[in-house]
Amino acid sequence: MFLHTLNPAMKACTVVGLVFVLACLFDPVTPLVFTLFTITVTLVFGRFRKRVYALYLSAFTLFAFGMLWTTIAFADTPSQPEETIPLAGFLFPKEDVLTALALSFRVMAFAALSLLFVFTTNMVHFILSLIQQLKLPPKLAYGLMAGYRFLPMMKEEFDQIRAAHRIRGVTEANSIKGRFKQLKRYAIPLLAGAVRKAERTAAAMESKGFTGERTRTYYRPMKITGRDWVFPLVMFAVLGVLIVLSFQLDYFRWYNGQF
Amino acid sequence: MKNWKLKEIVVLSALSVVFAVVYLAFLPVGKLLSGLFGPIGYDFIFGIWFIVSIIAAYILRRPGAAFLSETIAATIEVLLGNASGPLLIVTGMVQGLGAESAFALTRYRSYHLSVLMLAGIMAAVFSFIWGYFQSGYAALSGGYVAAMLIIRMISGALISGVFGKAVADGLARTGVLSSFALGRELRKKRAS
Amino acid sequence: MKTAVQLENLSLTYEESGRTVLRDITLSIAREQDTLILGPSGSGKSSLVQCLNGLYPENLDGEMTGHVYIHGRSTDDFKPGELAETVGSVFQDPETQFCMLTVEDEIAFGLENLRIPAEEMEPRINEVLEQVNLLDKKTSMIHQLSGGQKQKLALACVLVMEPDILLLDEPTANLDPRAAGEFIEVLTSIKRKRSLTIVVIEHRLEGWMELLSHVIVLRADGGVLTTGPLHDVMNKQAHIIHDQGIRLPYPIQYSLEEDVPPPYPFTLEKLADQNVRLPSVDRPRRPYGKKIMEAADVQWKDILKDISFSLYEGEWIAVVGANGSGKTSLSKIMAGITKPDSGMVHLKEKPMKKWTPDRLRKESGYVFQNPEHQFVTYETFEEIAFSLRQQGTAGLEINRRVKNMLSLCGLDGLDRHPPYQLSQGQKRRLSAATMMVENQSVLFLDEPTFGQDAASTQQLMELLEERFQQDTSLFMITHDMELVHRYATRVIVMDKGRIAFDGLPEQLWMHEHLSDWHIEPPLPVQLYRLLTERSRYHVSSYS
Ligand SMILES: Nc1ncnc2c1ncn2[C@@H]1O[C@H](COP(=O)(O)OP(=O)(O)OP(=O)(O)O)[C@@H](O)[C@H]1O
Ligand SMILES: Nc1ncnc2c1ncn2[C@@H]1O[C@H](COP(=O)(O)OP(=O)(O)OP(=O)(O)O)[C@@H](O)[C@H]1O
Ligand SMILES: [Mg+2]
Ligand SMILES: [Mg+2]
Repeated sequence: MFLHTLNPAMKACTVVGLVFVLACLFDPVTPLVFTLFTITVTLVFGRFRKRVYALYLSAFTLFAFGMLWTTIAFADTPSQPEETIPLAGFLFPKEDVLTALALSFRVMAFAALSLLFVFTTNMVHFILSLIQQLKLPPKLAYGLMAGYRFLPMMKEEFDQIRAAHRIRGVTEANSIKGRFKQLKRYAIPLLAGAVRKAERTAAAMESKGFTGERTRTYYRPMKITGRDWVFPLVMFAVLGVLIVLSFQLDYFRWYNGQF
Repeated sequence: MKNWKLKEIVVLSALSVVFAVVYLAFLPVGKLLSGLFGPIGYDFIFGIWFIVSIIAAYILRRPGAAFLSETIAATIEVLLGNASGPLLIVTGMVQGLGAESAFALTRYRSYHLSVLMLAGIMAAVFSFIWGYFQSGYAALSGGYVAAMLIIRMISGALISGVFGKAVADGLARTGVLSSFALGRELRKKRAS
Repeated sequence: MKTAVQLENLSLTYEESGRTVLRDITLSIAREQDTLILGPSGSGKSSLVQCLNGLYPENLDGEMTGHVYIHGRSTDDFKPGELAETVGSVFQDPETQFCMLTVEDEIAFGLENLRIPAEEMEPRINEVLEQVNLLDKKTSMIHQLSGGQKQKLALACVLVMEPDILLLDEPTANLDPRAAGEFIEVLTSIKRKRSLTIVVIEHRLEGWMELLSHVIVLRADGGVLTTGPLHDVMNKQAHIIHDQGIRLPYPIQYSLEEDVPPPYPFTLEKLADQNVRLPSVDRPRRPYGKKIMEAADVQWKDILKDISFSLYEGEWIAVVGANGSGKTSLSKIMAGITKPDSGMVHLKEKPMKKWTPDRLRKESGYVFQNPEHQFVTYETFEEIAFSLRQQGTAGLEINRRVKNMLSLCGLDGLDRHPPYQLSQGQKRRLSAATMMVENQSVLFLDEPTFGQDAASTQQLMELLEERFQQDTSLFMITHDMELVHRYATRVIVMDKGRIAFDGLPEQLWMHEHLSDWHIEPPLPVQLYRLLTERSRYHVSSYS
């Protein structure tokens, strides 16, 4: 599928660029429409387990919704308190509600973009592309990849350590200070294990002749072709049109630190 | 980067992976606190989110360790699903730069507790400035903002500076760091 | 003859502890002279291998003196990464040898380091996967492979780089007997195809003897005890090697015990020719006591299915089965470490979830498969003293008991050593020792003897036997069928998450599905069969 075969570095740069532009805007409509557009693109041009995607998306929606409430609740005194909107039986200042909506949709737009990236990108390809296109030093890149492998092992390790401590008769803490002590007690074996693994992995890599020099060949050469430019062009064009619309219809607002 | 040993990079990356998960785990805690106290709630425990930069710098003692570890941790957080999305990576970079600035001030010569606390404070200050523009603290009243900054600085000094050092020292005592800068220093201390 | 590896006065001291682990080693290994490195646990075998593959001195923190020559060239003269073209290594731990996510990427990694053009990679990857029988896993994720497959992959990664020298540090310690056998077979077939010098560290020699021609034996203090052709050394010095606590191949061990004079037989068949006595294959059994544990209809994820069985006082259960068959998962559920998705586990007629951790700990102990998971302190001494301190035992008493335990486990003089920096075998013994100072009624042990030499295995088993005699019930996972044969009163076979067999060991050895479960009968039993078969043949040929 199109999104999966896209050059990962190009995809990442596009997403980051879009996020920066979105971060400067501050009306509720543009991010909302753009979020919907991004989700559509992801669903149409990506192939993955739609249920998992829905799960993540709903978690983020929940987060954004929570944010909506706290923002309204902790808002500054509005400049035009007379304009109100009724919500769930209460009256809220219109300005606060708009601000809150803008913030929440912004979060949604960011989330949709990062999900687009995460769900359609192979981590290894991404790192390879960082080396080949963005000139990340291979030593750093492969070191990162080696560390990244520990991620799936971590939960298991943590459970093991917890169990081991209980078996050894360390009781679980319930005071705040006890909690921090406990955090340290679990953290240390976990980290010690991670350091040992890292050390052994590094040794194994070097024993296979890895030096970190740029002069290596690639099993998966990553290239940027004409096709890869379609994605940034389309995404930025749509965002541009939305911004122009917001000017035309006069609901455009810059972001300048509203909360 | 050239004179880093491969195993230092892998360790850096492993630390970042571990702490990315810890960072995520602390988000709900921050959320709970901010539910109780408002936006300032996060600042009480903000120090936890700089801890990897201090630990990595303290263990490896190389220029760039603080910045890199924090950046990588943030990136992994995003990949694991932090709702803030790619902007969080920038946040991580800013925080990492903050911590890095303290070590750079000593020209990477001193890793005394006070320097680590300073690194925590600098990370707090940098992250605060970034947050001021990015998350809109401007809309909050002046006194409140000042209180946020101070609490965040204290949290940075205590949680990431003092607690971070305690964790790293504990780790060094297990012996696994014997071929890293911190372990070597510990050995020298013991020998003398 | 050209030398592959040559060591001149090699000594190594770890800075952390100041211990000299290798002492003035001078030896050489000729090309294509496949060599076994033997030595008691902690004698410095792993450290030696680290010196050979050029990882040292960069990667360890110690001081190395002397010289290492590979193909006549000092390792100092090799450029970084260059040595990898000549020397390839497979390490013991199947988890930490990889840096990529999929099988093909991992194999390509080595080729990329050698700057092989991209278009040549694919055929080479396919070829090497074919050799190690992993072709169908080419695009699999590495973390989904079983332990045995990971070790074969590790071998493939190295083989693809076509090294002249292959270093293997206990590559089969965590594998089930079938997987270990397959690993050795792969090596044997490759050896037939191209020239290669193999250097292996192993404690369990079964299967390796036909492949290897030479041996280097290290002493406990890190010096060289002897070197030479495998057969010569075994025939002339078997008893000396035995005295070092090193495990000998079973036929030789048995000949020593039976006072058969050298030359010693290397295979069971030859041993049977020697007219030896029938080995005894019975173990006196005690009547079972009360039921102490019961599992009823336990399910966990799709990993354990329909598990029901009971554990009685005075039982020594051995749990065996292929890699990934669910042994560890089962033991964790029985010990209350993980909770089953459905079904119940009772300990002393009380459901597991009603036990408080504090009370539970007094009743049951657990030795983890990975010893590092068990460490909670900074020193070997403290590690053992930990639970005694928690019970409030007096200081002098602690000192006495810990010292005693340390010496029983062959950890003398290591009291102040950080647990993480022990050798593999020492870690294993320490983690077992921490559970032995208490008096629980059930003890769970997950592969307590992997990576151990003969003497430490013996000591560990004696400790367990002692506990057993004091009415502790034991639940022991192992791949070592001889231990099952000698110690277990009952054996459970796990197969794809189900209990496939539950009965007496001697019944198991006669079971028709034995090889489907990746199990081979223990050597004494095989010998017994061989001898009885022959005598039957003899009897019939006389009559
Ligand atoms: N990183 C280290 N720092 C300090 N001491 C170490 C370190 N690694 C190993 N040792 C010590 O060096 C000695 C030799 O260890 P090594 O791992 O080489 O033994 P080994 O022969 O491979 O043993 P085993 O058969 O148990 O694996 C041991 O006494 C061990 O405690
Ligand atoms: N926490 C877990 N979540 C999901 N799958 C798991 C988990 N733990 C183990 N597994 C899988 O369950 C299967 C059984 O694992 P288990 O560790 O019980 O095997 P084992 O019989 O002890 O094998 P070995 O002899 O290699 O130690 C394996 O395929 C393993 O990958
Ligand atoms: Mg070893
Ligand atoms: Mg297991």
